[in-house]
Amino acid sequence: MITVSGYESNAHTTMSTYFQIDENWKEGTGKGVSVAVIDSGIDIAHPDLAGKVKLSVEARPDNKRIVFDPSETGDSAGHGTACAGIINKIAPDAEFYSIKVLGAGGLGDGQAFLAGLEYAIKQRYRVINLSLGTTKPQFFAPLHDLLDRAYQAGCIVVAAANNLPHPSFPSVFSSSLISVIKSAETDPFKFGFHYGEVIELTAPGVNIRTAWLNGAYRNLTGNSFACPHIVGIIALLLEKYPTLTPFEVKSALYAIAKDNLEHKKTETEENE
Amino acid sequence: MSDMPETENLISAEKLRRLVETVDVANILTEPLTQSIENILQISAAEMCSDEASVLIRDGNEGDLRFLIAIGSVADQLIGIKIPAGKGIAGFVMSSGQPMAVADVGGEESFYAEVDKTTGYSTQTILATPLRHKGDVIGVLEYVNRCGEPPFEPFTPQEMDKAALFAESISPLINAYESAKLFRELGEKMMTDQQNSDVSEIRKWLLNLRESEEHKEMMDLAILVRELASRGDAERRMCREILEAVLRFSENKHETSFLGY
Repeated sequence: MITVSGYESNAHTTMSTYFQIDENWKEGTGKGVSVAVIDSGIDIAHPDLAGKVKLSVEARPDNKRIVFDPSETGDSAGHGTACAGIINKIAPDAEFYSIKVLGAGGLGDGQAFLAGLEYAIKQRYRVINLSLGTTKPQFFAPLHDLLDRAYQAGCIVVAAANNLPHPSFPSVFSSSLISVIKSAETDPFKFGFHYGEVIELTAPGVNIRTAWLNGAYRNLTGNSFACPHIVGIIALLLEKYPTLTPFEVKSALYAIAKDNLEHKKTETEENE
Repeated sequence: MSDMPETENLISAEKLRRLVETVDVANILTEPLTQSIENILQISAAEMCSDEASVLIRDGNEGDLRFLIAIGSVADQLIGIKIPAGKGIAGFVMSSGQPMAVADVGGEESFYAEVDKTTGYSTQTILATPLRHKGDVIGVLEYVNRCGEPPFEPFTPQEMDKAALFAESISPLINAYESAKLFRELGEKMMTDQQNSDVSEIRKWLLNLRESEEHKEMMDLAILVRELASRGDAERRMCREILEAVLRFSENKHETSFLGY
């Protein structure tokens, strides 16, 4: 049993939360939880993912707007399939939604992924995997706005942090989303956190074996692959506690990470 | 030439002088840049215990990439190879801005299989990180395989961080290279069109070349430097000292974040 307690203040309001999580949340499979992967597409023919992707859409420029059409082009790079493969290992019964924003020609990088995020929020997918980022200052304000909308819509956005040395958006927006950085840890349930830093959670992201193009598997390293581990964890939490708000999920993740840290300390002390 | 009126002759000579100067500016600017990038690649590849390293830059406005500089056994064959937008690991890194390492690229990898077929090389492990300039991803820095014999150790997270720092040193050079390339193109354009072009035509072409303020400013700056440097040894020395001081200032000024973190 883990006790979750916390409060968050902003200029307008203070929110507090207090509840308990039963340890058996880890036994879930993510059933009934919608998970969107905003990336290079998902290879739905991969044996690990067959039948799990409920819908694949793809960004297409239409005049000055970006629209989303059903997609049959699969994955252009392998990255989206890799992320979905990681989520699937933790939450195999989650409903996957592929939003392809990379690899579609003629689209600016930030513009397409912003549109993908907006689409996911409009569809009210519960967890959104965003293993992408931009360092363009002009996307700061629109991303901030979108993340506020996600927060209010109850969508939990999980983003990969940028590595050295510049922060990227949206992973630095600590209040309205969950950002993740890679660690050498291998157990997805033993994730940690960096207290007081912009980058918050740490999850496995080094030499992760996961699904790839053409039914293959690859060993991959990057913050991009730490992010879907946390998405999988959130899917399990939401299966067990479907009414959790983004704020509550975030508080729960902190509480679990803290508990993990204490266990780790005890284990180290016992070993010494 | 001899039956040309004298004024016309003078105008032609003046045109030719300017043309030669422009081409000189291009060569002076691009050669040290590509050389410096190659040097950094050599040093960084040794530091990363990697066999092959390459820099890929934007090709057009659709997110395509092409190999600009490479070191290693198949470097010459790589130069100029194009990667369509979003394809392969480099394409993904370009469009997502996220670095990644793949420990086991493998034979069936669609894109690398094609490149490997061309070069006869076997890509097994790869690390790719974005090259950024002012928030824009302008290219990709790649390290392929390790020194010694396979099987190769995967690239580590520490090496990924190190590669990001090397990318930081290469990015401004790439940006400068792209500006210098504009000069070279200008020179070539003037060469080929010399017979039937006049100044107004060149000016029009120049205006259309790049609409962004940044590019215009860079060109102005290069012209200014050339102007100053052509006035004598003392001016040239002063110009260099001032520019070096500016460079030192810019290196020391720690660029953190738009947000002020």
